[in-house]
Amino acid sequence: MDLFLQLVMTGIMVGSIYALVALGWVLIYKCSGVLNLAMGELTLIGGYVCLSFYLRFCEQMSVASAFMLSLALTLVVGFILGRLTERIFLRKMIGEPILAVIMVTVGLSFFFKGMVFIVWDTDTQVFLPRIFSVDPMHIFGIAVGEVYFWSFIAAMILMVIFVLFFKYTRWGLAMQACADDEMAALSLGVSAKFVYALAWAIAFMAAGVGGSLLGNINGLNYSVSLLGLLVLPVVVFGGLNSVPGAIVGGITIGLLQNLSDGGLTLLKIYFPDFWWPVTIKEVGPFVFMVIFLLFKPFGLWGWERIERV
Amino acid sequence: MSYLPCGSYFDSYREEQKWWRTPFIKGKMVLMVVLALALPYLVSGEWMSVAYTINYYILAALGVQLLIGYCGQITLGHAAFVAVGAYCSSMMVLFLPWPQPIVDAGLAYPISLICAGLLAGIWSVLFGLPSARVKGFYLIMTTMAAQWVTVPLVITQYVSQIGGRGHYFSLPPGTIKVGPWLIDSDTKIYYLSVFLVALCLLAMGNIARSRLGRAWVAIRDNDIAAETMGVNIVWYKLLAFFVAGFFGGVAGAFYITALSFVSPEHYEWFFSLLWVGIILIGGVGSIQGIVFGSIFVVMVFKLLEMGVLGLSGVLMESYPHLGWVTTKIIFFKEAAFGMAIIFFLMYEPNGLAYRYWQLKNYFNLWPFSYTGKGH
Repeated sequence: MDLFLQLVMTGIMVGSIYALVALGWVLIYKCSGVLNLAMGELTLIGGYVCLSFYLRFCEQMSVASAFMLSLALTLVVGFILGRLTERIFLRKMIGEPILAVIMVTVGLSFFFKGMVFIVWDTDTQVFLPRIFSVDPMHIFGIAVGEVYFWSFIAAMILMVIFVLFFKYTRWGLAMQACADDEMAALSLGVSAKFVYALAWAIAFMAAGVGGSLLGNINGLNYSVSLLGLLVLPVVVFGGLNSVPGAIVGGITIGLLQNLSDGGLTLLKIYFPDFWWPVTIKEVGPFVFMVIFLLFKPFGLWGWERIERV
Repeated sequence: MSYLPCGSYFDSYREEQKWWRTPFIKGKMVLMVVLALALPYLVSGEWMSVAYTINYYILAALGVQLLIGYCGQITLGHAAFVAVGAYCSSMMVLFLPWPQPIVDAGLAYPISLICAGLLAGIWSVLFGLPSARVKGFYLIMTTMAAQWVTVPLVITQYVSQIGGRGHYFSLPPGTIKVGPWLIDSDTKIYYLSVFLVALCLLAMGNIARSRLGRAWVAIRDNDIAAETMGVNIVWYKLLAFFVAGFFGGVAGAFYITALSFVSPEHYEWFFSLLWVGIILIGGVGSIQGIVFGSIFVVMVFKLLEMGVLGLSGVLMESYPHLGWVTTKIIFFKEAAFGMAIIFFLMYEPNGLAYRYWQLKNYFNLWPFSYTGKGH
């Protein structure tokens, strides 16, 4: 029971990071209709940027403030990179067929991955000195790693900020309007170009924070981009154009991933003779996604598309 | 008449659909075959491996072209089916107790090649089943799932463990025999690849101009309209997945001749995307496009490698701290490939095949081209 609760806790907390990254994905899709397959690389870039800032700052100030500062700078870099990416690569692709747009993001993912490994190398890098202590903390008597807890808090704060941004600021309202009905928004003077650029900037920022949090958990290497790719099962589960769907989906996928992995470990202990797979952490969400797709192709809250000739 | 005039002057559809419509085209084809056969005598051994890699990419991208370019079903998981073919073929060759006469006649590998194609086709249909219900982005997700389920799960964690050899099956030189020929040198691998590519492209070209191909194109252009016209879209989509998987399996089974060992890292997601990139660069919906795209991508990789490695001596001497450039060549390749895809999609969305067509047209109409100056 203890183990189960622990798995649930950790699952929810990791899931909140996925939810944060998925939020960025959904935003891009809602605002500009681009299905982004480069999300994994965006998280990777964010993680590495944050790491290099952190390594620079931690000599001069305390660990906590160095991390906060580098996180803030990651947001700034993410904003700039997002706007640049949109301006250079994606703006020309508005209105192109779905395959072309998707493959542009695939090309971007190759480019980013190559660049990240040219600049930062492929070895696993860790945030040293450690930001979060190794000793678990206890919440309601359940032992949870400190990293997970603070990641959860950070992801939640950021998500609340994003939601407030959409609800109450001028820019956020413009984005909502554009996502709802682009033509009407354009006729009322909302600049679509600005909205697209903002969507990409926010996606880069969300992915950057997600990447730096994920990098704190297991160290930064290529596998972080695979975790970022988990955003795809998340958005399929929640519905492609639903912000609450992204949040619920992220937490669900995190939960499912952790529970299935824990269950597998238990099964391995009790039935050691059966051929259990070594790990299903990466594959599990995708399998779940395919099965889910067969029953509910538009996700939990996605818009159902009715097609005519 | 040795060249096609402007406009259509054919009397029958049969004549219009012919492979070789004029003696000029026939001569061009014969020249191409002669060139392909004579290539080993024209270039050095190093380029043989480049040539058969191009042919491998052509074979693998053929299935992707069929699914994306002809049937409109976007797939991002084709490496899974190539992997299934490769593993099926190598395991059949290594582990099956073949009767001696078959081994002597050199039939073991060809039989395994066909079985690999069939198995990969069936595996592909399995993951094509959701296409009956979903399409567009959702279908991309299921084909991606095919990649994740097949390569990291089934192949790495189960199939690779068979025989307890660790993570890969080693194929000692001389294992693979086709008829009387032992496939043990780059030149022989190259000839095998030329044979397979010619066969598969011929098959693909013929399928594309048959009832089957027309049904696929109808589904690509508008699936609902196709269904109302009486095309059984589920059946034809699954058939497309089967044939694409078959080509993929043949590609995988071919490439084991060039690998000294088969391991999951030869079939990563990167390759699925690479093949989609190839058809985008070459031109979607065109058989020539696959060839152009493969040649382009492989040559860019090769030239990049040659450039960096060629310069590395100079670099090392004058700038010793730039030695990292040579160790990171693979990432330069990846970044360059990414940029190439983006560049083609933005500035040449119809691919190299379209550029080739324009070139042909230019000479066809010369000197009275009506496209205006500068085109």
